[in-house]
Amino acid sequence: MWKSLTKNDNSEMVIALAGQPNCGKSTIFNAVAGFKVNTGNFSGTTVSYTETEVYIGGRTVRLIDLPGTYSISANDVAERVARDYLLSGQVDVIINVVDSSLLSRSLELTLQLMEMNVPMVIGLNMIDDAQKKGMEIDIPALTSLTGLEAYPLIAVQGSGVHELFDAALKVSENSFHRVPPVYDRDVEECIARIEARYPSTLKERLRVDTRFVIIRLLEMDEEFEKLVSEVDGDFLEYVVENRRFLAEVHDWPESGVFASHRHALVLDLFEQVVAVRSRTGTSLSEKIDRFVINPVGGLAATVGVFFLMFAVSFWFGNLIAGLVEAPLESLGAFLMSHTSGYTAMLVSGVYDGFTAGVGIVLPYLVPLLVILSLLEDTGLLPRIAFMADGLLHRFGLHGKSVVPIIMGYGCNVPAIMAARNLEYERDRIITMLMVPFIACSARTVIILALAGKYLGAGYTTLIYLGNIAIALGVSSVFSRLSADVSPGIIMDVPPLRKPYLHVVMRKVWVRIQEFLLFAWPVIAISSIALAVFSYVGIDDVINRVLSPITTFILGLPSDLGITLFLGIFRKELTLIMLNSALNTTDVSTVLSSAQLLVLVVFTVLYIPCVATISTLWKEGGLKVALLSIALNTSIALVVAGSLAFLL
Amino acid sequence: MTLLELKEGDTAVISRVSGGKGVSARMAGLGLHAGKKVRVVRAAPFRGPLLIEDISSGARTMIGRGIASHVEILNEKR
Repeated sequence: MWKSLTKNDNSEMVIALAGQPNCGKSTIFNAVAGFKVNTGNFSGTTVSYTETEVYIGGRTVRLIDLPGTYSISANDVAERVARDYLLSGQVDVIINVVDSSLLSRSLELTLQLMEMNVPMVIGLNMIDDAQKKGMEIDIPALTSLTGLEAYPLIAVQGSGVHELFDAALKVSENSFHRVPPVYDRDVEECIARIEARYPSTLKERLRVDTRFVIIRLLEMDEEFEKLVSEVDGDFLEYVVENRRFLAEVHDWPESGVFASHRHALVLDLFEQVVAVRSRTGTSLSEKIDRFVINPVGGLAATVGVFFLMFAVSFWFGNLIAGLVEAPLESLGAFLMSHTSGYTAMLVSGVYDGFTAGVGIVLPYLVPLLVILSLLEDTGLLPRIAFMADGLLHRFGLHGKSVVPIIMGYGCNVPAIMAARNLEYERDRIITMLMVPFIACSARTVIILALAGKYLGAGYTTLIYLGNIAIALGVSSVFSRLSADVSPGIIMDVPPLRKPYLHVVMRKVWVRIQEFLLFAWPVIAISSIALAVFSYVGIDDVINRVLSPITTFILGLPSDLGITLFLGIFRKELTLIMLNSALNTTDVSTVLSSAQLLVLVVFTVLYIPCVATISTLWKEGGLKVALLSIALNTSIALVVAGSLAFLL
Repeated sequence: MTLLELKEGDTAVISRVSGGKGVSARMAGLGLHAGKKVRVVRAAPFRGPLLIEDISSGARTMIGRGIASHVEILNEKR
């Protein structure tokens, strides 16, 4: 009855990585992942998982990286889908990855996972950080108290990873002997009372550990309450009675009484396995941290990151774009000279799609994703979010939206990918809808080339400011329309850490693959369609079809229809095709200043480019992509149309 | 008194987290239970969040002001 990701033919072993956010799960995943990495969303959500096939111990294993969660109480979508997947019966072994330097907090999740009674091993990651903090973890004691094998790891250096996977393989083959957490006597008596009345119909229906179900009910888990009430309402009532009794006896709210007992158990376990030595001195990362969380230092860091991204997308991007241009052009010429007719049409479509992909991936995607990964891995991201949250909150955004926004000025594609860092679906969707309004480097080139050249610095600045106002306006409106209230920020701020180049590059590679697998085919297909259009000589038809928009609403020559249409594929095509469409070398001789302004404003705001649309589709689902198209186009029509009407 | 009333550098012991099951569960997930001793490291500009340090583990968490107003504390001396 639990939702499953994909059908599994049972011949393959499935290992799931589960752990709290920032515990290094993904680093472990990326370290062992092969070349076939799939990223998908849990059905009906924007919560993503990553899976891959790995070859260990002479067999192929499917490895799933679940979203990081603090608990499995289903407090948010990520927790719910992660839990549902672990309960689906498809998982053979759980690898619980733990940040050893935060062991007491991490053990809360470990105990909850143990209650599921699925074979499990513990990966004690960042064991070096724990040692630096003066923590000495007695691993044999941890194993004897929990029945779980535990292995020390330093995932960023790859050390301990193989031992951990070997252990995971063995634990599934042999029988699994966890030591179930034992609570206070009255809690255990309460569980026993309920267990005695546990209906067999429920057992058949749920097919999960009965003790686990009882504990979920004692924790007021709404999803389980609903499931149980469908099967046996009387039983649920009996559980509620017992839960109320427990809450009264311990003078604790009904919703938190069980969690408080688990917390006590965790503290007890922690004290038995960890010895803490006192430690002196301030480390370098702490000194940097003190600077960054200062208003002045934080502002400096944020502005620094902003300029770095700008520099990367303009200077570095152009440099790389220039370097790949010549070889690509000679490849194009070679292909054209060896093909003709329909084949030429098809080949040129594929070629255009390929170059469009290369034109995004190499100059923009790779460097911007490197910066994103650095922000994530060093822990600078939550610190920038901390500084920006107060300001962005006024526009219905979240502190973490700051990175997608900044990145959007380079390229919208990685910016939308960066929205994945936002915990709540509501914040993710608002950010994803806002990003396509941000003038990326391709559109900035259009602004500078047309407005900057013909209209002057004053208008150029106005266009920029207007663009920012519209983007922030969109997020404000959506946040007010949204049924959920932003729950407010509660976010872990991990210590600043040294980034590792190979870890960063692994992550970038996984993300590039995601783009290539999903967006590139979309770009290629649309490029082929475009090639067919131009082969058939459809320019005139497109101009005529779009003329109500170009001439009637925007007051522009109908010849511009084709350039605006091409801009959907790549924004810079609008600029490149402008002169030839208007049959001139100086646009200002054909278009008035007012028309130029309308053209620039419309180009900046209308339909996101194909790469952006397909990324929105991938990250947020088809609905978000379609909504974004409708939103951008209608706002572009209203704003540019009113300008045309007024001027 | 609540966490929101503390100044940078103040320490306090969390006595209760109100504001619904979601908020208290999320706080608990980050290790911020009743009984935890915490310190306000920094308050972000523009009425932004508070940066809170769990004194026993050194773990840091940022908490929006809305949520901080639901965290009841017993104040201690700085």
